[in-house]
Amino acid sequence: MTSSRTWRYAAPFVIAVIVAILPLVVTDRFLLKVFTFAGVNALVVVGLSLLFGYAGQVSLGHAAFVGIGAYAAAYCTVQLHWPWILGFVAAGAVSALGGLVLAVPSLRLKGYYLAVATLGFGELMALSFKEAEPVTGGVDGFTGIPYPALGPFELRTASSLYWLVWGIVGVALLIAWNTSSLRPGRAMRALHGSELGAQASGVDVVGVKVRTFVMSAVIAGLAGALYAGVVGFVSPSVFTLSASVTFMAMAVIGGTGSLAGPLLAAVLLTLLQYFDALIPGIPRSTSQALQEYREDIYALAIILVVIFAPRGLGGLWRRRDRGGGEEVRQ
Amino acid sequence: MSELLQFLIAGLKNGCIYALVALGFTVVFAATRAINFAQGEFFMLGGMLGVAFWQLGLPLPLAAVAAVAATAAIGALFELLAVRPIKDGDPLRIIIVTIGGAVLLRQLTLHFLGPDERPLDAFSAGASFKVWGAAIERQTVWIWAVTVVSVAVLAILYRRTAFGKAMRATAIRRDAARLVGVNVSLMVTASFAIAAGLGAVAGITVTPLTQTVFSVGAGMGVKGFAAAVLGGLGDPVGAVCGGLLLGLLEALVAGYIDPVYKDAVAMVVLLLVLFVRPQGILGGSGREKL
Amino acid sequence: MSLLQVRHVTKRFGGLTAVDDVSFDVFPGTIKALIGPNGAGKSTLFNTLTGFEKPDGGSVLFEGRELVGRRARDVVRAGLARTFQNTQLFDELSAGENVMVGRQAHQGKGFTAAMLRLPGATAEDREAREEAGRLLRLIGIEEWVDVPAADLPAGIRRLVEIARALATGPRLLLLDEPAAGLNATEGRELVHTLYRVRDAGVTVVIVEHDMGLVMDVSDEIVVLDRGRKIAEGPPRMIQLDPVVIAAYLGGGEDEDDGPAGRPGRCVSTAPADAPGDA
Repeated sequence: MTSSRTWRYAAPFVIAVIVAILPLVVTDRFLLKVFTFAGVNALVVVGLSLLFGYAGQVSLGHAAFVGIGAYAAAYCTVQLHWPWILGFVAAGAVSALGGLVLAVPSLRLKGYYLAVATLGFGELMALSFKEAEPVTGGVDGFTGIPYPALGPFELRTASSLYWLVWGIVGVALLIAWNTSSLRPGRAMRALHGSELGAQASGVDVVGVKVRTFVMSAVIAGLAGALYAGVVGFVSPSVFTLSASVTFMAMAVIGGTGSLAGPLLAAVLLTLLQYFDALIPGIPRSTSQALQEYREDIYALAIILVVIFAPRGLGGLWRRRDRGGGEEVRQ
Repeated sequence: MSELLQFLIAGLKNGCIYALVALGFTVVFAATRAINFAQGEFFMLGGMLGVAFWQLGLPLPLAAVAAVAATAAIGALFELLAVRPIKDGDPLRIIIVTIGGAVLLRQLTLHFLGPDERPLDAFSAGASFKVWGAAIERQTVWIWAVTVVSVAVLAILYRRTAFGKAMRATAIRRDAARLVGVNVSLMVTASFAIAAGLGAVAGITVTPLTQTVFSVGAGMGVKGFAAAVLGGLGDPVGAVCGGLLLGLLEALVAGYIDPVYKDAVAMVVLLLVLFVRPQGILGGSGREKL
Repeated sequence: MSLLQVRHVTKRFGGLTAVDDVSFDVFPGTIKALIGPNGAGKSTLFNTLTGFEKPDGGSVLFEGRELVGRRARDVVRAGLARTFQNTQLFDELSAGENVMVGRQAHQGKGFTAAMLRLPGATAEDREAREEAGRLLRLIGIEEWVDVPAADLPAGIRRLVEIARALATGPRLLLLDEPAAGLNATEGRELVHTLYRVRDAGVTVVIVEHDMGLVMDVSDEIVVLDRGRKIAEGPPRMIQLDPVVIAAYLGGGEDEDDGPAGRPGRCVSTAPADAPGDA
């Protein structure tokens, strides 16, 4: 018991160290980029897991917020020639606005309406990214996005971009963890558990839902800005319903009531995309099959998790932690 | 004038398709209080399976019927495998499972039937009808006829048969229905089968005009849902009205403003309805609000 | 001065009038019980008093302020808390955390302070945790403080919900069938808890079927039948009231044998036996 306790406290530090020194160990630029993408996805999913894993709300449009952030950052840096940091902040602000506009009306309604509203919003945004040529560059998108720059320091190398992304992931994790372990997190879990009970306890149910949604939208938008800076161009084909479903899959598999689970799921599922590059020596046929069946795997994983392990990876870990004596509560 | 008529005809044609898909959503929603995100894929399966059966040599009418039956069976199977195991019937979990299911159905269709678009012959050959300067294709008439028949059959099923009464009881109060002997699990499975059948009917009937491909499901799903919400979620009459209205709106926007915005209409309508009048046009007291 | 003034409250559902022109007062420092055969409209009345349903007519004055039209959250903020017949605990949280939610609904420090883990937020949390512990101790169930709500036995779940309602700092507490499903020992514990709550300055209104408990604990009883108030008064008086007895015996409500025991038995002055006990 004591050893598992110390492991629980030590694990985050160990993992943080591993994440930090990774670029010193891994020298392959492509591989580093893959891990950087994993970080961008992880960032989105940390925000999404607050919304889904804690407050129990489904969003099928989070790729749209990533897109909004990416395009906002691109526009500010390329068209307006703003410094990167301002573009980053603008991405967050525009996403916050979008999130507010969507959340306030939708969250007055009963649960499932948010899922549908976000679906509609996501599709609408995907269409807009393609059609609003003067602002978004249309189907071709934005190219020539400058590298992220912190003041006079431009971040060009794969390692520096990796550290930027994972550094921001770390900050986001900290903020998310603070929020979830204090009053707002309890309020989120309360309204997830019983909206009636939450109302009867004086919780501002709509207010908590809206704040959580906007928070997750902002985080997604900032991830989008990072994506734009890391990749150098954005095109509408990235921010689709398929991407939103993938993010949901990561949140579902990662599990409810935990931030580590979804983060792990995000990293694993991103790595799955580049499986053949990561493990040399895999026969061509296997890696091809993996690519082809990637979405099938996601879909199957979602279904299996919802049916058999509704609390996801995070839930399984917690049950182990308690000695496995708990009943499985459906 | 004939231009307006042409738009109206197109609008009613698509409207019928949306009405059928929206009815599918409504049937499942009524039985489970959950949104079935796989509804669009049932529409896709109707078309794809119909073409597959036809290309295998079945005469067209048989292929169409077989496609609808097969899709209904897939719908029931999906419910048994993915929805029923969710013991608490939590709508949130059902929604997520149907999201996964939708992706899976789409992927399986891609793997088994390939990524290409597939055509289908019209149900009856012949030139279009000319009415008041507008042209009505024969397949459009088929769509109207099939929709009317489907809605009528559904109405009879729900109002005149014992089975229909059981379905309605399940929709109103599950626990009460269970107490009077209704096999609620069976009703839920049946609702998925019916919804799948309705989606497939829409899919197979419109394929001669639009061709079909494995990826049409998502877009149709959103539009069908927008139609259902527009009319009032949970209300079958609302679903039909919402579908027709959405079809007309789309046609008018595409005709008088710009075809590029056609697909956006459903999204905008959906968001507007949710924000302004979530219970839809025919919905009642606004009990959707918290 | 009446703490709660219920005046001509009416609630209809389609063709059914669930609550029909009900009026009564609740005075501070008392325990009032709301009884009646099944379907008498007790829970619906509760819902209208606490903002979960909007009455079709009538007014509810709490400390002189109108509650009708206010949302549930605002009713709680005004000082009126409730529990549910079907206990609504937050299963993902522990018993203590459940109570903390009740406590913190009143706190205003908000998201930003929490996100940044500002000292104000952590201090609030610490205080809420202590208060939760204190309330659980008051009710006598503090050993369950860290147990996840999903794992609590039914009787303890009830009590945790009461503690959570108390955490909101109410002056009036409405309990919906708190004794349902409790065994004799737990029932006695509940009675002690109700006295402790009252002595702590919180007025209590309970809906109950357990007649023994009701006779024991209440200062006054209101009897509903088919939505209408048919009697109001101290327990002794209600026991002897022929209208009340008729309401319980008529209409096929065989579950409730009436406030005094089995039908046909002489009404005794010792109300200690509950139906089904002897």
